[in-house]
Amino acid sequence: MGLAQGFAVETSGLSKRYSTGVLAVDDLNLRVRTGEVYGFLGPNGAGKTTTLRMLSGLLRPTSGGATVAGGAPGSPGSLTRMGAMVETPAFYPYLSGRDNLRVVARYAGVPTSRIEPVLRQVDMTDRAHHKFRTYSTGMKQRLGVAAALLKDPALLILDEPTSGLDPQGTVEMRELIKELRHGGRTVLLSSHLLNEVELTCDRVGVIAKGKLVAEGTVDELRARSGGSALLVRATPLDQAQRLLQSLLLASQIQVRDGVFSLAVDPAQAAAISASCAAPSSRWRTYSCN
Amino acid sequence: MIASLRAESLKTRKRWANWILFGILLLTFILLGYVLTYVVLSNPPRNFESRVPARILKREVFPENLIPNMLSLTSTIGAAIMIILGGLSTASEYGWLTIQTILIQKPSRRAVLLGKLAMLAIVTLLVSAGILAATALTSYLLVTIDGSSSSWPSATLLLKGFGALWLEFAVWTAFGMLLGITFRSTAAAIGGGLTYLFVGEALLAQLLRNTEGVKEVLRFLPGVNAAGVNASFGLTFRNLNATTQLVDATRGTITLLAYLVVFTVLGLLIFVRRDVGGS
Repeated sequence: MGLAQGFAVETSGLSKRYSTGVLAVDDLNLRVRTGEVYGFLGPNGAGKTTTLRMLSGLLRPTSGGATVAGGAPGSPGSLTRMGAMVETPAFYPYLSGRDNLRVVARYAGVPTSRIEPVLRQVDMTDRAHHKFRTYSTGMKQRLGVAAALLKDPALLILDEPTSGLDPQGTVEMRELIKELRHGGRTVLLSSHLLNEVELTCDRVGVIAKGKLVAEGTVDELRARSGGSALLVRATPLDQAQRLLQSLLLASQIQVRDGVFSLAVDPAQAAAISASCAAPSSRWRTYSCN
Repeated sequence: MIASLRAESLKTRKRWANWILFGILLLTFILLGYVLTYVVLSNPPRNFESRVPARILKREVFPENLIPNMLSLTSTIGAAIMIILGGLSTASEYGWLTIQTILIQKPSRRAVLLGKLAMLAIVTLLVSAGILAATALTSYLLVTIDGSSSSWPSATLLLKGFGALWLEFAVWTAFGMLLGITFRSTAAAIGGGLTYLFVGEALLAQLLRNTEGVKEVLRFLPGVNAAGVNASFGLTFRNLNATTQLVDATRGTITLLAYLVVFTVLGLLIFVRRDVGGS
């Protein structure tokens, strides 16, 4: 583990346009400092996963470039120093958790003696002999983190690590992320939840429609915007609007492109979601500006 | 590549689907190619008509005809199973998204796929050896039960037959692997491969084999070339020229080797260049 002082991740004009014509990432200039926990914040579809895929070498950028852990994305030099969990933790369903890590270790050229320590680190030792297909979402996420840690990487990339977790699992994962930064490791964490990056990250980059629209600490971003707003995506829209109007003043609610912008403290996110939850509606609170 | 090969060996050994495919292949070769043939020809039905008497025909399953009889199933059920094996080995990685997990480890994409190809080459070699051993044992048991005498093919013929079996299995496996990489879907790879095998090769090649013009095209198909190779190992009681093949054994072998190279190189090119994930 260990990277030279400076930036663990640096992108320059990074862009990705899919063959379908969708411009997922647009001229992104991102700098993640060595040793920091950087939150990559944005709503679903903003371009977070596409960016992380490019940084991992899974996607080729349409234009621009990047340096990741001291090398070109996807190069053996870069991959040796980074560990990543991009999108869903993907493993072989017919293998146990331990055997899956054995496969990953062999690909990575890591001694199998690393497997037990990382299993202990993510608290998976007891279930490691069970088949991956029997795992809950939380266990899959933890195995994904374990796999990313096998190389003891200087840079750890985690894409929505709390996605699909129950509240207890979310708390445990956040604690784990805080532990992972020990020893000067750089962590790049993507999330659509402001409170998540607020609790775990040193700095935050906000991405919207493929562009980096803001960067700084959470406090700096708040101060810059002169207030805060909670962004909520909810369906059906009309039902959600009626519910929100019963809770807040009309001046506090704005709707744009199917997303509600609520002039409230983001800390109220859970309370608002809970108040508005109805069997027929789907709520997702994801950001603040 | 060695790291990738070691990972592949663990995945391949522990995947039940591979063992089931091997079991099906073995059972089909033994039951269809030997046991059922022997039972039917030992007790031919009353309306059985053949220019060659049944008591001679049943020598097909005896050791003297080990190679041609074994190869007779290679282009049909053998090819189908190997297409499935090749398709599963690559397409499943896309289906489970494990391709992402693999590619963010240390080896380059080229090393990852070369490791997979090396593993498939070893698997096809072991499957070929297993099939040869099982059919030889069955043949020996049947001739013993029958109380007849028979001789084993020469070592050279055995080696050539084994080479032909492995080459044909390797070509069909590489074809399945290429389809898996191209379609990134297990169902599409297997469905496409089997449709080609049973409609493109088996049906069209049989129906149109005497149509001028089309015949020239058919001479380039892998199945037709495999049939040319197989026909060179004729049954002892049949005239080698009795069935006309569109290609001879030499051309067949060269064409099959060319297909093996083309499928492998195409698979590598697509695998190395294409984006993984996203839309």
